[in-house]
Amino acid sequence: MPLAGALDVGPLLDQAPEVRLAGDDELRIDDVDILQVIYELGASDVEALVPPALNPTLPPVVSFLVYRAKDSAFGPFSLVQVRLSARAGVRPRAFLVSACCDNPAAAQALATSWGFRMQPAEIQLRRLHHRVECQVIADRRPVLDVALVNPEPISGHDVQYPPGMHLARARDDDGSTPYIVQVESEYEFRRADRGRPGLTTFDAAWWGDERLVPLEPVSASFTACNVTIHPVRYICNPDIPAHEGTVKVGTS
Amino acid sequence: MDFGVFMELSVPRPWTPDSERLVYENALEQVRLADALGFDYVWAVEHHFLEEYSHCSAPDLFLTACAMQTSRIRVGHGIVACVPEYQSPIRVAERAAALDILSGGRVELGTGRSATWPELSGFGANPDETKKTWDEFVQVIPKMWTQERFSWKGRAFSMPERAVLPKPIQRPHPPMWVAVTSPGTEIDAADRGLGCLGLSPGTFEESERKVAQYRARIQNCEPVGHFVNEKVHTINFLSCSPDREQGRRNGLRVASSFSYMNAQLLGAKEVLPTRSYLSDGLLPALRRESGGPGDAAKAFTGVTMGTPDDVADAIGKWEAVGYDGINFFINFMEVLPQQCVLDSLRLFAEEVMPRFKKAPKREAVVAGVA
Repeated sequence: MPLAGALDVGPLLDQAPEVRLAGDDELRIDDVDILQVIYELGASDVEALVPPALNPTLPPVVSFLVYRAKDSAFGPFSLVQVRLSARAGVRPRAFLVSACCDNPAAAQALATSWGFRMQPAEIQLRRLHHRVECQVIADRRPVLDVALVNPEPISGHDVQYPPGMHLARARDDDGSTPYIVQVESEYEFRRADRGRPGLTTFDAAWWGDERLVPLEPVSASFTACNVTIHPVRYICNPDIPAHEGTVKVGTS
Repeated sequence: MDFGVFMELSVPRPWTPDSERLVYENALEQVRLADALGFDYVWAVEHHFLEEYSHCSAPDLFLTACAMQTSRIRVGHGIVACVPEYQSPIRVAERAAALDILSGGRVELGTGRSATWPELSGFGANPDETKKTWDEFVQVIPKMWTQERFSWKGRAFSMPERAVLPKPIQRPHPPMWVAVTSPGTEIDAADRGLGCLGLSPGTFEESERKVAQYRARIQNCEPVGHFVNEKVHTINFLSCSPDREQGRRNGLRVASSFSYMNAQLLGAKEVLPTRSYLSDGLLPALRRESGGPGDAAKAFTGVTMGTPDDVADAIGKWEAVGYDGINFFINFMEVLPQQCVLDSLRLFAEEVMPRFKKAPKREAVVAGVA
C-alpha cells in the first residue's frame, strides 16, 4: 500500500481555525487573478508532511497559490496559500500548510467557513508582460517571493487546482473536534498563461513547516477567472485514512 | 479471442533485500504456466521511479527471461516509452530485434509515452513533446528493422546512414501497437495501422464506440510499418475460482489494489498545464468508478472475476463489443498468494479458454491487401 501520512496534528491544533459546518456558506468572487507556482520538495520523510488521513505523492510537490480578488463581499483582498500535493483515498487533494490574507474580514470568513489557517500579511501581486510576481511581507520582511516568467497563453482547462484539505476544529456540543475539511471550488476561466516558475524567497518556518524545502521547479500558471468556493460537503478524521474516516457534513 | 497476462512487477513495502527477486520469480513462474496453458501473450510495462507500483524499468530483460523459459507465448512490450530522453529509437529497434531472435520470432512491440510527472521529470523530458516524439519513433523503428541501412533527419531524432543491427527474424517485422489510455489515441493507432493496446477500463458502450471508430478508420490508414496490425485488445482483472464469492473477493483485491496505487501516481497533467495530455491517463476512469471522495476505488464494469461461467460471460460481452483479445492483471502488489494466482490461471485455461478459441483468429493484413 502507498505511503501514508504520519504528521502529528496535535501541535497544529492551537492554530487551527474553528469552523462552522452550517452547510450553506458559499462565496462567489468575480474577476480573480490566480498565480500558481509549483515546486518539487525533497522526498525524505515525506510521510511526516501530511496527516494520516492523506497519502503523500511521490515526489511531494508544494504549490504557492495566490488569489487577488479585485472585489468581493469583503472588498478587495489577496490570499496566498502554501499547499502540499496529496491523495484522499484515490482523489487528488492539496493539504493546506497555511495561508495569509491582507483583508481581516475576508480572512475571518475564510477561516470560520472553510478552515483556512490564516496569518496577516502584506501581499503584492504584479502582472508584467514578461513576468507575474508575488511578494508576501510579514513582520516587515519578505516571507515569499514567487514568479511566473515568460508567460504564454494556454487554455484555462489545462490548469488544475485540486480541492484543499484544511486542518480545523469543528465546534459541537462536546467542545471542538479536529477535522480535515474538504474545500471545493469552481473556476470559470477567462484567460490563462503558463510560464517558467521562479522562487527567490520562501521562509518555510513562517509558513508553519520549516521542513519544506522546494528543490526542483515544476510549473507556473496565471489565470483570470471567477471563483466559487462551495459549502463544505465532506470532512474527515485527520488520524485515519480518508477512505475510512470521511463523512458527509450533516450525516455524521 | 486472444488472452494475455500483463506484468507490472509491483513490489509492496516493506522492502527486504529479497522483495524484488521474489516478485520477479513469481512473475516468471506465472509466465511459464501461462505459456504451458495456452495463453497467447505476456506483456511487460516500462516504468521508472514508481515506488511499489512498478519495478519494471528494464522490460526487455524481463521479457528475455520470459522467452528463455517458454516456447510459445508471445512476448510483448506493453509499452516501451518512446521518449528520446529515456532512450533512442535506435536502442528500441536494436533490443526488440535481439529479443525477437532470442525468442524465435515472438516479439510484439507496444509503443507509448509516459504520463506521470516522476517519470517524465526524472529523465528531464518535456511533456509537451511526448506525442510528437512518439510519432517519430513509430515512423522510424520499422524502417530500422527492414532497411539494410537507414538514415534519418527528423525533428527529435536524426542519424547518419548506418545499419541498425540485428534485424528481427519475423518478416516483415514484429507487430506494432500503441497503448491507448487518453481519449483519441485509438484514432492515432488507426491512422498509423497500429494495434490498439487498451489499458484503460471503460463501459461496454464507450468501448463499442471506440472499437467501431478504430475499425472504420484503419481501413484508410497509412501504416508506419509494412503491414497493418488491426488487433484491438483490452485490459481486465482475472480471478477464476470454483467458488464465486472467493473468485470475486480475490479479483476485487487485485483490482482495488491496482486502482488505489494507480491513483497515487502524480500525473503530468496534474502539475503542468499542457495540451499534450488531454487526460491523466488511467486515473480519471479509475476515480470515476469511486463513489465519493472517501471511497476506495471499485472495479469497473465487465470484470472477469468469479466462477468460470461468470468469467466466460464477461469475456463474451467484451468479445461482442469487438475486442480481439483481453490481457489480464492476475495479481498486483502480491495481494494474492502465488498458489491462488496459479490455480486461477489453470481453471481459466481448462474451463473458459476453450470456449473462445474456436473462432478463427483475425490475421494481420498486409499493407494494401484486403
